[in-house]
Amino acid sequence: MQTLHRTGISEEIKKLAEKYGKNRTSLLPIMHELTAKYGRITDEMMQETADALGIRPIDVYSTVSFYTFFNEKTKGKYIVRLCQTISCDMDGKSKVARQLENELGIKFGETTPDGLFTLEYANCLGMCDQGPAVMINHKIFTKVTPGGVHQLLEECRKGKLDKIADMGSVRLNIIKSGPILDNKETENEGLKKALAMSRVDLIKEIRDSNLKGRGGAGFPTGVKWQIAAASKGEKKYVVCNADEGEPGTFKDRILMVEYPHRLIEGMTIASYAIGAEYGIIYLRAEYFFMKSHIEQVIEDRKSANLLGTNILGKEGFNFDVEIRMGAGAYVCGEETALIESLEGKRGEPRNRPPFPVVTGFDNYPTAVNNVETFVAASLIAAKGAEWFTEHGTEKTSGTKLMSISGDCANPGIYELPMGVTIDEMLIMAGGTGAKAVQVGGASGSCVPASQFDRKITYEDVATGGSIIIFGPNRDMLEVAKNFMEFFVEESCGQCFPCRKGNVKILEGIKLLEKGKCSTAYLSELISLGQSMQKASKCGLGQTSANAFINIIQHFGNEILARDIQE
Amino acid sequence: MTEKKSTATVDKSKENLIGSLIRVTIDGREIRVPINTTILEAATLLGIKIPTLCYHKDLGLAGVCRMCVVEIEGQRVLQTSCTYPITQPLNIKTWSPEIRKARRNVLNLLLSEHYGSCVSCGRNDNCELRGLAAEYGVDDYVFGKMEQPAYEIKVDSPIVRDLNKCIGCFRCVRTCADFQDVSAIGVYGRGNEIKIATFQEWELLDSLCVACGQCATRCPTGALTERDDTDDIWKAIEDPSKHVVIQTAPAPRAAMGELFGLAPGNSVTKQLNEALHKVGFDKVFDTNFTADLTIMEEGTELLLRLKKALVEQKPVALPQLTSCSPGWIKFMEHTAPDLLDYLSTCKSPQQMFGAVIKTYYAEKNGIDPENIVSVSLMPCTAKKFEADRPEMADSGHKDVDYALTTREIARMVREMGLDLPNLQGEEFDDPLGIGSGAGLIFGATGGVMEAAIRTAYELVTGEELPFEKLRVEGVRGMEGVKTADLPITKAVPDWKFLEGATLKVMVAHGLKNARWVLEELRAGRLKDYHFVEIMCCPGGCLSGGGQPIPTSPEIRKARANAIYTEDESLPLRKSHENPVVKKIYEEFLTEGPCGHKSHKLLHTKYTPRGSRLV
Ligand SMILES: Cc1cc2nc3c(=O)[nH]c(=O)nc-3n(C[C@H](O)[C@H](O)[C@H](O)COP(=O)(O)O)c2cc1C
Ligand code: SF4
Ligand code: SF4
Ligand code: SF4
Ligand code: FES
Repeated sequence: MQTLHRTGISEEIKKLAEKYGKNRTSLLPIMHELTAKYGRITDEMMQETADALGIRPIDVYSTVSFYTFFNEKTKGKYIVRLCQTISCDMDGKSKVARQLENELGIKFGETTPDGLFTLEYANCLGMCDQGPAVMINHKIFTKVTPGGVHQLLEECRKGKLDKIADMGSVRLNIIKSGPILDNKETENEGLKKALAMSRVDLIKEIRDSNLKGRGGAGFPTGVKWQIAAASKGEKKYVVCNADEGEPGTFKDRILMVEYPHRLIEGMTIASYAIGAEYGIIYLRAEYFFMKSHIEQVIEDRKSANLLGTNILGKEGFNFDVEIRMGAGAYVCGEETALIESLEGKRGEPRNRPPFPVVTGFDNYPTAVNNVETFVAASLIAAKGAEWFTEHGTEKTSGTKLMSISGDCANPGIYELPMGVTIDEMLIMAGGTGAKAVQVGGASGSCVPASQFDRKITYEDVATGGSIIIFGPNRDMLEVAKNFMEFFVEESCGQCFPCRKGNVKILEGIKLLEKGKCSTAYLSELISLGQSMQKASKCGLGQTSANAFINIIQHFGNEILARDIQE
Repeated sequence: MTEKKSTATVDKSKENLIGSLIRVTIDGREIRVPINTTILEAATLLGIKIPTLCYHKDLGLAGVCRMCVVEIEGQRVLQTSCTYPITQPLNIKTWSPEIRKARRNVLNLLLSEHYGSCVSCGRNDNCELRGLAAEYGVDDYVFGKMEQPAYEIKVDSPIVRDLNKCIGCFRCVRTCADFQDVSAIGVYGRGNEIKIATFQEWELLDSLCVACGQCATRCPTGALTERDDTDDIWKAIEDPSKHVVIQTAPAPRAAMGELFGLAPGNSVTKQLNEALHKVGFDKVFDTNFTADLTIMEEGTELLLRLKKALVEQKPVALPQLTSCSPGWIKFMEHTAPDLLDYLSTCKSPQQMFGAVIKTYYAEKNGIDPENIVSVSLMPCTAKKFEADRPEMADSGHKDVDYALTTREIARMVREMGLDLPNLQGEEFDDPLGIGSGAGLIFGATGGVMEAAIRTAYELVTGEELPFEKLRVEGVRGMEGVKTADLPITKAVPDWKFLEGATLKVMVAHGLKNARWVLEELRAGRLKDYHFVEIMCCPGGCLSGGGQPIPTSPEIRKARANAIYTEDESLPLRKSHENPVVKKIYEEFLTEGPCGHKSHKLLHTKYTPRGSRLV
């Protein structure tokens, strides 16, 4: 029989299991701790963890293999992750990549012989307005130039990485603020007013505000809370989706860094509305740098009786929040995959129905909302539904944070009313003359110049906030390729159309690149893409072919006529 | 006899659903169904066929293949009928250009990465992928074709894994995790790189795998198959110096017909005897004979344990757990190495038979055991593992040389060009061809217990079990855990100490239930019980991993029926009345059950496997 050599890690893992709880939910936190300390997860650690949590070793092995931030093989002391997603790509990622390879003398995926550096690509680090971005261990550096690479690596070599501030060189870049971003000082007014209301009235207020989910899908928040409130369960959960993985989206980062109180206030209000006592912030691993910052806010709020028991003197109203880290999987932004991940499993989306509001985390009713949704909700509670409906369109109220990046003079955060046209945004951002705009990230839609009068709302072009501008000289096939590479890497691989479909489309793009794709085959690929849209299990597969189909539709002739470099 | 119902069960049923019926329209036809009925179930009730691939009636829902998609009026995307619970009135279409396109695209994607030739595949007669590709006329490899295998075929256990044929439906993973609660295999990686793996890619038997083969009977393709040993058997048969004998277990006989076009539930025992003679086996024997022998040995072992506990007041491991299911044994060795004393030390009927053939039979007939090739026909893939266990050589030779599954023997019969159902039928051969109905019902869950009760009751009380047609209803049926009480009102002098006692027994099948039993045992909650039967496979041997594919709750019931019906048609229904059993104790095992020689040949030891950390 195969045996594993015991090296004495058993006690340590048992302690971790005590700390997080002896069940599968603790799997990801324990893997994070082991990774941070030992740089990898060995077979022995997997067996020990399985024993400590009462699960089987294959469960640990299979789960670890799902997440890019966990590794079985030893990596360098410094893991250098260069963002390869669209905005950083357009900002010159490949030149930085070349220089990283030159400086380190290794290729991507390799580790230097001295064990100091491992070079890898990462998908969207959420720094799209200040690319190219590089993540070194938990710190992020933006606007990295080929010339600056050497300096960055030297800091690591000299052991100075830890001394650099948590935020690295991350900037906020708020270019246009509005009612939400301007209202920093009214903190906790929303919570106080909410607690003075009945749950029914509070939910009605949110419903009347016409607030739609800011994570992209646009489901009315009031309705979600109402169903969650009506669902029966011994326990309920409020979960904040802070996975912000959609390429080109970085607005939740700003909110969590600058408005964390507001976020947690919103979660607290939600917990009051639906009757939950536990809240979880699922924070993407790429945002490790802000974890301690938010934890501090949670502590402060506990001390101020804004969290904990009998909050603000409201008898029987208890609520606690904790942060759980993701581990590098875009699909975990999908709410049911997120819940699976919280449960210590592979981030594979569930069958829906049943929806999380009925059967969510640990099978209890769970309201999952985006960071911005909670922030908006706390302001609605403070200022009333009407204050919110003053802005936006009839069906979609309010202002929305747009993360604008790509070919424009002023990338950054813009708070704009729902219903703003693409043209208007281009003028503000200094991106006029663009040939296309990607609205809604890689999974959104690619809008050509002829349709720039279209509005950003859930009735017209929907977005969770990502706006990526493609200037007149962009090669749209390369754009499509970047997106498909993203989806091939990020598909959970569970359902057949998405698992294999993205790969086939990417292969097709490579044929187009070489000038070797027949129109007949191209239409097979479009048909495939349409089936993916209709038949995939989750939003990822249902949208991953969008950009490809749009781009072929609008730029097909340009692509077929392109010069081929041998 | 009283019966208790237990909570641990793998049967999922909608029987208990209360509430009103919901009206849905499927392809223009209306039906009213209980809330939470799936669209697939509702369509099936209407006789509307929806293609499925990842769905399996025994398993939890995955919803990953997307073959079963349907259109629901008012919804933006197609929905999978296998997962979609009906909670409100719906208007559903199971057929539209969009649906057809999606299904064809899915099949085309699968074919593009499916490496292997249908001609040479062990599943070519009932591969679900091949069936659907044919049904949908998908034959043009639109998205290309694999020219090279991507994986090495793994033949490291009775279950052969050819991932080149795997479509990633996760049925095997769900079987192993949810159905058997073993979790030897799982999904590794992400995206199109996913594959079915063991922990650290260890050999299957080094992982927690018990070789039950349940995964293989649910795999829709040829990715998981049994190790095919038929070539070796043909060679042995063709070698004139070899005396090739085969023992046939009851469960394959109750199911083999399914592989020859018969409906489930038709036994083909006698036809099979003829077929095996024609295939060239020198002797065809009945495993029921050693099942009867097992009852004598295991029953005596139990009575001795009871005596030790009740009369000698010595500590003894009770309840005694049965040991005839090799998958269960390996499971126990992994899961409860500290409780191995509770296991009966009896070998399984297959292994007892092997030991008897190479000793008693060889001596009696003057055949050099060296020249005997001892084959068994079993419903089970774990039997291959059992036959290969190093300690299974008490005869001085490998007790059983080859354990063949129902599917393998069917292949040999087919290769002979025999039309099994229409053969005249022949009897078993002497001298090991007599088995009782009690031995026969070993094939169904509860059978060992029922056989033991028929014998033990009579031995202890001196009277026949007072049940109609000797049926012990309390231990029959597909409930996951069954219990029964048997009061002993009077006893013959030898067993006087049992007078007034109530024998308490429990029967569990499927490892999920077995795990529950072990947990109860460890928690000290089974102290009142005396004897527990455990079978690795849900339903017992009749649904073993070597049985015909497909399997379903209905098929398992039909096979059980066939077994119980055959039992009642036999003149001999009690193990202790088997004349060959009596004879072997007179001539060979002269010290009687659990004597010295029995212990050497018919009993065994176990290997604590437990934790791998050393
Ligand atoms: C592939 C995929 C990724 C997603 N990523 C995110 C994300 O990073 N953040 C987010 O808030 N919602 C994301 N969503 C949407 C969530 O599933 C869910 O709709 C949202 O969290 C609900 O919150 P809201 O109603 O407040 O928007 C994603 C959806 C899909 C299909
Ligand atoms: S659509 Fe893609 S990401 Fe979503 S479940 Fe299917 S394979 Fe996973
Ligand atoms: S043979 Fe049984 S234990 Fe082994 S992998 Fe298959 S289902 Fe699991
Ligand atoms: S091995 Fe068979 S059952 Fe398992 S995933 Fe592959 S095709 Fe499905
Ligand atoms: S059979 Fe329904 S999704 Fe596979």
